[in-house]
Amino acid sequence: MASNYNIDGIMLFEQPFARVPYENYRKVFRTSQKNIEKELGALQAAAADLARRAQAGTVVPEDALKAVDAMSRRAEGLKRKLGELQRNAGTPTLEVMRERLQLLASVENMQSSNGPDFDRWADTRLDRWLTDWALRSGKEKTARKLAQARGIERLVDLELFSEIRRIEEALNKHSCTDALLWCSENKAALRKVKNPLEFELRLQEFIELARDRKLLDAINYQKKHLIQWQDSHAAQIQQASALLAYTPSSAFGPYKRLYDLARWTNLVQSFRLAIYNLSTLPTEPLLHLAMYAGLASLKLPACYDHETQNIDCPVCDPNLGLLAKEVPFSHHVNSTIVCRLSGKIIDENNFPLAFPQHGHAYSKEALEDMAANNNGQVTCPRTKETCHFTELRKVFVS
Amino acid sequence: MEASLKELAKLEKLASSSSKSKSPSVDASLDALLQSLRETRETIQAGSASADTLAALQRTVESTKKDVDDRQKEVYSSLARFGKTLDKRFSAPLPSYQPMFTSPEAVAALERTVAAHFLRTGQFETAETFIEESGVDIYPELRLHFIDLHRIISALKEGNIAPALEWTDRNRAFLEARSSALEFYLHRSQYIRLLLATHPPNVPTALAYARTNFKPFYHRYGSEINRLMSCIIYLPIARLQASPYADLASPTLHLDLEPMFAKEYCASLGMSRQVPLRVIGDIGGGGALARIEKGRKVMRERKSEWSQSDELPIEIPLPVENRYHSVFACPVSKEQATEQNPPMMMRTCGHVITKDSLQKLSKPGGRVKCPYCPEESKVAEALRVHF
Repeated sequence: MASNYNIDGIMLFEQPFARVPYENYRKVFRTSQKNIEKELGALQAAAADLARRAQAGTVVPEDALKAVDAMSRRAEGLKRKLGELQRNAGTPTLEVMRERLQLLASVENMQSSNGPDFDRWADTRLDRWLTDWALRSGKEKTARKLAQARGIERLVDLELFSEIRRIEEALNKHSCTDALLWCSENKAALRKVKNPLEFELRLQEFIELARDRKLLDAINYQKKHLIQWQDSHAAQIQQASALLAYTPSSAFGPYKRLYDLARWTNLVQSFRLAIYNLSTLPTEPLLHLAMYAGLASLKLPACYDHETQNIDCPVCDPNLGLLAKEVPFSHHVNSTIVCRLSGKIIDENNFPLAFPQHGHAYSKEALEDMAANNNGQVTCPRTKETCHFTELRKVFVS
Repeated sequence: MEASLKELAKLEKLASSSSKSKSPSVDASLDALLQSLRETRETIQAGSASADTLAALQRTVESTKKDVDDRQKEVYSSLARFGKTLDKRFSAPLPSYQPMFTSPEAVAALERTVAAHFLRTGQFETAETFIEESGVDIYPELRLHFIDLHRIISALKEGNIAPALEWTDRNRAFLEARSSALEFYLHRSQYIRLLLATHPPNVPTALAYARTNFKPFYHRYGSEINRLMSCIIYLPIARLQASPYADLASPTLHLDLEPMFAKEYCASLGMSRQVPLRVIGDIGGGGALARIEKGRKVMRERKSEWSQSDELPIEIPLPVENRYHSVFACPVSKEQATEQNPPMMMRTCGHVITKDSLQKLSKPGGRVKCPYCPEESKVAEALRVHF
């Protein structure tokens, strides 16, 4: 039997785990860069201005002092801001990156999936999956409790999901502000994957202005925020412009659809897909993906037949069996016979023996044990057929 | 992950302001700038500032800007290099699937599974939070059962077998039907503990314990009890460890009681011996998803879709402990046996093939020649085998 240790199969699940903190650190870097550009730019301008005025001889010492003091305050301010950013966001994120990479390196260096090291690793992985699942299904309290109880706060993305939740709640209250702010923070990345979320949000704000019949505002808004999308979304912009002429009650066809409040629900969905995509998170919870593959690997028709159910088989569990209805059956080209008496797998040394009348087969070892305790008599637990051990028929399963 | 860790170390170094690098840290650059600003201020105050002083200040600001930019560029390219190591390590993205487990029944089943998982693994507080938050309907006794289980296991961890024995006493009939050795092993552990606990060994106490407790087990574990009695001659423990009875001195004799007890306890509640979510997760996250995806890709390339709900296109190898059911695949047709196409054993030689294959191989006169040996059997006499 092949070993179930497959490092590539394990790593398939871990991309978001490694990538989310990396993206977070990139965000921290971008913020620092923005601050630097702004403050140092201002300092450059101030210094240039001062030097020019000194050259022209139009600067009095008091003014020069004032200007130098202002420059000092700016430089101090920048230094403080960068320090805080590094302390509160940069360093913690680097620590998360290190901890996660080390966890992944530790499983890479394991030689097999048997043993206490792997057991602990897999327990943590399941805790991570359950946290991810709880966060995605809106059970934030459970997620936090679980992460805290298991000490895995740095191994799960609680902040990412509370950000998602915050922005989604705002969208549900018909406000695009938070979502637009997120778009501007991730402008480059969104553009790279050609994600139209920002346009959709802008369009919605325009629609809301039209709904409220603030037509002048709507026109200004269109000029300011929609025209720049002309190249890629001309048709939509044109269609939306018609809303200036139609009130929500007089709109029909495509215009009625633009006024439809269901658009907000779609925006929530689009936002969620966009943020998952940028974080390389799959659209389905990791737990679901693992369960899909795990259940499908185990599922057999025997799991749904009361006669052949096995209490130790996960798919035979009523709840998991119900979930497994959504996945395909496993596929087998080779026989595996599991002795129903001992639970052992039958092989050439422990071959199956069948009762001569009804053909129920068990492993030789289990039947030998039974015969030893019963003066050579054996009884089939399923049919109660009884015979002498020597009457059993050897079964050849190639 | 080695490459990523190496790049991360470089990134960490750049982030800490104290480190030496090609360019000075942003912090150091700003400090130097502040220093020149202070000096400029003093010069102005002293009245000795000229246009050159302020021109020099402008040059300092410009060079600060350049230093800071250089440093940021260094960080940026370090980040990019780190990102490349991730791209390299994680070449395949997670597959995207249609939403699954979304029906109300499936949601409820998954929530019950998760609640049972928390309880079973002893995470009672998390379980409580979860049950409250999700409103999952779970039968209340389940919680009590698992609290009880964890109370008993904790006692076992501390070497106290009394709560476990109370339980085996109440469930004797169930354990006997399973021919479980649990109760005997609990007594065995206690007996060995008594023998080895003190120095010099307290043999009379241990023997008294054996006399009261081993008796009902003698008919089933006679030879083991004899060994337990005989091992006394090899005391103390140092000698025992080097004797033929070394296994009795091993700590696993006590440690194995915990999983063994949990297994019997769960079985008495109709639950599996392994934690089911762990089993599924380990299989799904241990290569099965990768294999399924690969199979799917091959099928796509051949332009033959497989129907999702039917059967996987490939076999997922499973470790022995995860084989729960017999699978008979016909060696002739390679098809899995079903109720309509069951495994049939040819009377003369005992080889098994499926019914369909048997029919196909049959010759006039109702005879069939075994495809695996020279024997001939009668088709009508073939015996349906139940595994």
